[in-house]
Amino acid sequence: MKNRLKVLRAERNWTQAELADALDVSRQTINAIETGKFDPSLPLAFRAARLFGLHIEEIFHDEDPGSLATGIK
Amino acid sequence: MNQLKTSENGYRSRICTNTRRLAGWNGAWLAATVLMKFGPKSLWNQSSVFTLLAVGLDVAVGAGMILATKKYVMELDELQQKVYLNALGTTAGVAVVAGVPYSVMDLYHVIPFHAEISHLLLLMGLTFIVSFLYGTWRYR
Repeated sequence: MKNRLKVLRAERNWTQAELADALDVSRQTINAIETGKFDPSLPLAFRAARLFGLHIEEIFHDEDPGSLATGIK
Repeated sequence: MNQLKTSENGYRSRICTNTRRLAGWNGAWLAATVLMKFGPKSLWNQSSVFTLLAVGLDVAVGAGMILATKKYVMELDELQQKVYLNALGTTAGVAVVAGVPYSVMDLYHVIPFHAEISHLLLLMGLTFIVSFLYGTWRYR
């Protein structure tokens, strides 16, 4: 799963530590999500979406966008 | 720049508090275990009553330590829970895989000393530390 967390954070001049505090997670977790090493749970993704005022799919998206339409993973 | 709202009792301060609490319980359990192990010979001349009291204290403090550990893990965030549980799984696996052959080697006198439970605890502790550090490094 890819995400735009780093870009969205940079646009707002937030540090990883500030974002981590706002989402109630560790800075390590924010870094791991931004670098694609860790996929967040749905509740955490919803919290991030609420914080940025966006829909989840505007932040997180499948690496293979055709997989949903075709049903093939 | 948009200002972020962060709570006073944020994740970091909560984890620091829980870590200190867990360290306190671990220290208390260690002290109770030392008392239980060495008290009978050194302090109360092997009196069964005092030994039973020391065992009861050790079990009670151990139960508190288990609950503190559970609270600590439940309050970790999802990535840190994953790292912790991976380390715990590796530790349990190593304990079983290494513990049984070690016991068999003692049984058939392949090793020139007794297989003590403390050896297994030491192995488990080291395995957990290495696994936890590896997990932390992997997601750094």
